[in-house]
Amino acid sequence: MTAPTAVLELDHITRHRAGRPAVSGLTLRLDSGQVLGLLGVNGAGKSTTLAMIAGALAPDSGNIRLNGEDFLERPELARQSVGWLPERAPLWPELSVAEHIDAHGRLRGLRGAALTQAHKAIVERLELGALSRRLAGVLSQGQRQRLGLACALMHKPQLLVLDEPANALDPVQVAALREVIREQAAAGTAVILSTHLLAEVTAACDRVAILHEGQLRYDGLVDGGDHKALEQTFFDIAMRGNEGKNRMQAA
Amino acid sequence: MSVIAVTRLELRRLFVRPLAWVLAALTLAQLGWRFTLLLGGFLAGQIKLAALPGGPGYTDLVGVPMLSSILTGSMLPFGVVELALVIVPLLTMSTIAGERSNGTLPLWFAAGLPASRIVLGKYFALMLWLVLWLALAVAMPLSLSHGVTLDWGKLAAASLGTLLTLAALAAIGVACSAYASHASIAASVALTIGLALAGVNIAAQLAGATSGVVNWLALSGHLEAMLRGLVSTADIAWFVLVIVVALALATQRLAAEKERG
Repeated sequence: MTAPTAVLELDHITRHRAGRPAVSGLTLRLDSGQVLGLLGVNGAGKSTTLAMIAGALAPDSGNIRLNGEDFLERPELARQSVGWLPERAPLWPELSVAEHIDAHGRLRGLRGAALTQAHKAIVERLELGALSRRLAGVLSQGQRQRLGLACALMHKPQLLVLDEPANALDPVQVAALREVIREQAAAGTAVILSTHLLAEVTAACDRVAILHEGQLRYDGLVDGGDHKALEQTFFDIAMRGNEGKNRMQAA
Repeated sequence: MSVIAVTRLELRRLFVRPLAWVLAALTLAQLGWRFTLLLGGFLAGQIKLAALPGGPGYTDLVGVPMLSSILTGSMLPFGVVELALVIVPLLTMSTIAGERSNGTLPLWFAAGLPASRIVLGKYFALMLWLVLWLALAVAMPLSLSHGVTLDWGKLAAASLGTLLTLAALAAIGVACSAYASHASIAASVALTIGLALAGVNIAAQLAGATSGVVNWLALSGHLEAMLRGLVSTADIAWFVLVIVVALALATQRLAAEKERG
């Protein structure tokens, strides 16, 4: 049996924001086909971590490797291998849905027939056909997320980075999102998604990492949907920090 | 290749924004008015001018003044350069500051593009728009070229000077957009810098000083020679220097922003 391939390796990455460590000495490995849920309370460092993995933010120290290659020395790897959906799908309001998809494809190096084919496939998969000519500025929150996801998946990335993807989605849209995530994982894409919803992790992920105050406090497999055990672990970790203490006092 | 992708995207965004169309329509209408007035003046004085040996012709009285009023002195209605001082800051204000307020700036970073390519891609898109605008303005005096004697060399030199002025103003606008937190601030600062560069030597000239650092700094000094048909390496170097410095500053700011997050 061959060992799984590490798509992403974080090696002691640290990043300061506003003078305090937002992420501190984070070490993590993600294999192909794995879905990792990054849990944490607000301000735990999830979005900063994901922005670094997506190549939008450089770490102060530490290494990020994509398929064994140094990501910081070769930032163009992000273009080819990473798909990123930030917390609020960033869109250009004056461009249509179709124009967004094409623009992202071109920025990620797709041209000609490959671009047309990828465009067609992603529009069909995410049911964006009816919205193709609509301007991004008038889309609903759910539609914006769908378009953001299409842009992230356009170039068939090996690593998919989703920051709170289920925010503002209705239950039907959440179920559709989970299906897409499972499909991607089955196709060998490594997926990392941040959330503060425990149910999201148990439903969509096969591994969970808990960040607290910028540090990795827990990394383990999701135990057959054992929501209670995960909840206990999460609250234990959250309560140990100052924020947790304050919350307990307030309660 | 990625510069082309950025340029293409930026050009598309520029052409779907109403602002670009409104500016183009208003300025071209105003330039059309200027052309009509200049042509009327030229036709009215044609008999007198014909009597002057080596007197000014169509190029001096219509072609070049369409581009700028620096030589003629009569400002209104504005020439291309005077209009550019106002419209280029409006066109460039959102290039980077707009991305920042939209939250789309990290997308560019995540696409693995170096800051220099992002800046260059956006700059080239703006330049394409400005070249098209300039071409339409120059097409007005050129439309009568079959019936008048045109000094092609002088008009080409003047057009080159105008193009370099547009390029310098666009680069300054992009730099201001990279540094400003809001598009309106970027436009105000770019307008101020443009006006300062255009008029920095006015006081010096009124005092009788025709050389020196202040005169060298002034955009009008370098443009004026080209409007007269004189293209010198020193003048071209001045414009290239302004463009390179402004784009380098924009690149540095963008790169620092990626570092800082």
